Amino acid sequence: MVSRTDAVTRILFEAFSAAEVRLFYLLGYAAIAIFGYGVYVQIRKYRRGAALKLEGGLWARFGAMLSSVLSHRTIERRDRSAGGAHRLIFYGFVLLFAGTATITLEYDILEPLFGIRFWHGQFYLVFSLVLDIAGVALIAGLAFMMYRRGWMRLPKLDYARPDRVPGDPDFDRPQYRREDWAFLWILLIIACTGYVLEAARLVWLQDRADIWDTRWWSPVGALLAEGMRTAGLGERGAGLLRHGLWWFHGLIALLLIALIPFTKVKHIFTAAASLMVRDPLAAQRLPRIPDSQEQVGAARITDFNWKQLLNLDACTKCGRCHEACPARAVGAPLSPRDVILSLREFAKSTLESGVLPDAAELDIHGKAPGQVAMETLWSCRTCMACVEICPVAVEHVPIIVQMRRKLVEEGAMDPLLTKTLQTIHKTGNSFGESKRKRGAWSKALPFPVKDARKEPVDVLWFVGDYASFDPRNQKVSQVFASLLQEAGVNFGILYDGESNAGNDVRRVGEEGLYEVLATANVNALAGASFKSVVTTDPHSYNTIRNEYPDFGGKYEIEHYTTLAKRLFTEGRLQVTNPLKYRVTFHDPCHLGRFNKGYDAPRELLALLGCELVEMGRCKANSFCCGAGGGRIWVPDPVGAEKPAQNRMKEAAAIPGLEVYVVSCPKDLTMFEDALKTTGNEGKFVVKELIELIREAIPARRAEEVPA
Amino acid sequence: MKILVAVKQVAALDEDFAIRDDGRDVDSDFFIRDLNEWDDFSLEEAVKIRESSAEPVEVVVVSVGPDEADESLRKCLAKGADRAIRVWDTCIEYSDSIAIARVLAAVAKREAPNMLFAGVQSSDQSFASTGIAAAALLGWPHAAVVSNLTCTPGANLAVFRRELEGGLLHEVEIQCPAVLTIQLGINTPRYASLRSIKQAAAKPIEVLSLSDLALGAADVGEAGSSSRVRRMYVPDKARAQLIEGDAAQQAARLAQIIHAFKGAAS
Ligand code: SF4
Ligand code: SF4
Repeated sequence: MVSRTDAVTRILFEAFSAAEVRLFYLLGYAAIAIFGYGVYVQIRKYRRGAALKLEGGLWARFGAMLSSVLSHRTIERRDRSAGGAHRLIFYGFVLLFAGTATITLEYDILEPLFGIRFWHGQFYLVFSLVLDIAGVALIAGLAFMMYRRGWMRLPKLDYARPDRVPGDPDFDRPQYRREDWAFLWILLIIACTGYVLEAARLVWLQDRADIWDTRWWSPVGALLAEGMRTAGLGERGAGLLRHGLWWFHGLIALLLIALIPFTKVKHIFTAAASLMVRDPLAAQRLPRIPDSQEQVGAARITDFNWKQLLNLDACTKCGRCHEACPARAVGAPLSPRDVILSLREFAKSTLESGVLPDAAELDIHGKAPGQVAMETLWSCRTCMACVEICPVAVEHVPIIVQMRRKLVEEGAMDPLLTKTLQTIHKTGNSFGESKRKRGAWSKALPFPVKDARKEPVDVLWFVGDYASFDPRNQKVSQVFASLLQEAGVNFGILYDGESNAGNDVRRVGEEGLYEVLATANVNALAGASFKSVVTTDPHSYNTIRNEYPDFGGKYEIEHYTTLAKRLFTEGRLQVTNPLKYRVTFHDPCHLGRFNKGYDAPRELLALLGCELVEMGRCKANSFCCGAGGGRIWVPDPVGAEKPAQNRMKEAAAIPGLEVYVVSCPKDLTMFEDALKTTGNEGKFVVKELIELIREAIPARRAEEVPA
Repeated sequence: MKILVAVKQVAALDEDFAIRDDGRDVDSDFFIRDLNEWDDFSLEEAVKIRESSAEPVEVVVVSVGPDEADESLRKCLAKGADRAIRVWDTCIEYSDSIAIARVLAAVAKREAPNMLFAGVQSSDQSFASTGIAAAALLGWPHAAVVSNLTCTPGANLAVFRRELEGGLLHEVEIQCPAVLTIQLGINTPRYASLRSIKQAAAKPIEVLSLSDLALGAADVGEAGSSSRVRRMYVPDKARAQLIEGDAAQQAARLAQIIHAFKGAAS
């Protein structure tokens, strides 16, 4: 028995003529050659992109990638069933592939060269059991994916594009659907024929005790074999079946290998590579333009760097970004998925050919297939929802902003945006107000607010445009100033030394103006004496925290929510009038997704005694108010729903909601407006968290509360 | 072909401002300087002609002003001007529009362009006469308030349209060289990105003095001007009051006020 088990091994080319074996090898080499050529073409394509030096060690990147891939963490998010099914396919495939690969290793390399054999005995049996189970996992995963594609009718899997109209050659891209199905079917056929093949082999060799007695180590194959025998299949018939199926199975498998670089199958490599080169601050810290660089922004496909070209190929069309995008949700002609796919098609048609086409043919701006239209680019609110959810680390925001830089350079933008940029250049703020009036809101306070340029302070408050100039937000600024004063915080502001922080200017794509603003603020901050920076404006917070370091400005900076929370825990602020409101909280993109400031505002709400009811889309999945990326300066099209209105409806569905809490000046503006236009006025109110804090801590003297 | 575009760096006022000690202008501390709005359009028109022309067209901007005006000239270079000239001499200060026109005419003689564009007026002084005065000094044909222009480089004639009362359009042919003052809205001026402005900083701005133009101190400044600003001031706010009561009471009060004013006048 022992010896028999020991003798058992994988039946490979048994009963094949030498010519057949040679033919198979020939085909195998051909498949590998085609694969190799495909890989070469792909790599040549990426290398045609601009250069980029990655930060960080290769091994750390590799480790991070491996952990994402093995855990399926990113694939599982917001779609557990697809994540689970993919996990089954992934592990099933990996095991089966590893199995086949080790057989090749032994048969073609180790045994002929070194005489090493391990494919026999106990090891082989356990391995066949594992592979049999892997096959089941693979088939189950594939079956679910087929059900999902065929019957679940998920909107995110609908390839119709919001930036094209029916009739356009690239409107809904049926070739993608065909490819999806072909991929599923090929894998399914390979897996199923594998089992039938195994069963046929068992029936064929049923007289060989070493094989037949150990058949239950391949349970599925054995079961099928029993079925075949019951159905009257004899050894000869089984032998023929096995022979034919062997070729069929083998050829399809080789075909799959050969096609990897040319089809969506390549995501196996591109997605992993993309995860490996992920930039955790892709949207938070946009790339600088080197001074030496003439060309500004992405005009041609070759202006993207190799990593971005790789990103394009990594996209698996999973549609998560499409689903999360606020612009898409309100019917704007933008889907981050389609920006990526469009550019990918463009890169494929231009950069995969032997010779690089003329510059004119590399232009990615426009309405032809593969190009991206201006309206599409301007619809983006740079809210980062797409980057955040992409399971394969596609970084849409820098791609979109780099394309916008080109539009800005040409002046191809809404006249209102042009005006705003000119205004910001002239006055340093988007309101077109005189610089001198930046600190004017503080005059209404019963105490003077220190000028941090003139006297040292502990906390420098970077106020930002909206909180400084918008009348509604000025009230909030006054409240925050009195709270700081009451808590005994030694704080000051920069008065007319402060300029627009530039976060949104940069995201519009006006990099030159951003450089001017960032430099001005870094210089102003250098002229003040302070320990740390606080800001009430998440947009300013993001750029100062993540982007000013590139301009020589490194500070300890926090959003007011963490400072306020600390003031409570230290007992410097105390709730004397607990609020019993039922509230919901809107995570500002730049505080939440961008900088992971999810907890402090929630903890504050709990401290104030509020009952927090979360909206469906919260924290990382928060839904942008629509103001980001400079869109606050460009009115949304009339008639169409605005993102803020979409959000208000979501909030209005919370039974008994009293306060919709925000912690960003732009949110206050956008949502107070949306509250009215969605007819929810009177049902609940929109308030800054700062205002709730004030309510919970009534000022000591009534006259301390500014009007 | 060459187009000379006269531009001006104008001063916009800050929210609150103070009048200079001599009472003849606003204290320049309160100025927010920028390129005159009209000049944006005339420059754009010139650049558009160059862009749509097969034969080479040179667009030269010229400004009469101190160092600060370089900033506006750089903006013009960023928007597509090929060259920039700035004329300055301290005695040019206090020039009226005619004296400025004299300087511009001298530059035009030196450059010999086929056309001289100017904005209809400047937003800070609103004389609306500089361009036309330059034409008179040069003895060139001219047209004011041009709202549409067709001009083929190489041809001696340009055709333009002007808007008249009652929705009428005036289509006119003009012999070059000519002076045209350009109206707002004739085109959509392009945006000069900050990077393009920065890159334009590398282009030289030619600075000319009066002697380069064969002009003397007597041609400019107060000496060369035919008008002189006496004072600049904010007029007293007009007063208004709401008269309440019924018709009879209102009439009585009105009569009282009229009497009071009449009394004051006599
Ligand atoms: S950043 Fe936001 S608005 Fe822009 S494409 Fe991504 S999800 Fe859409
Ligand atoms: S870009 Fe990422 S999130 Fe969007 S469809 Fe492609 S893989 Fe999915």
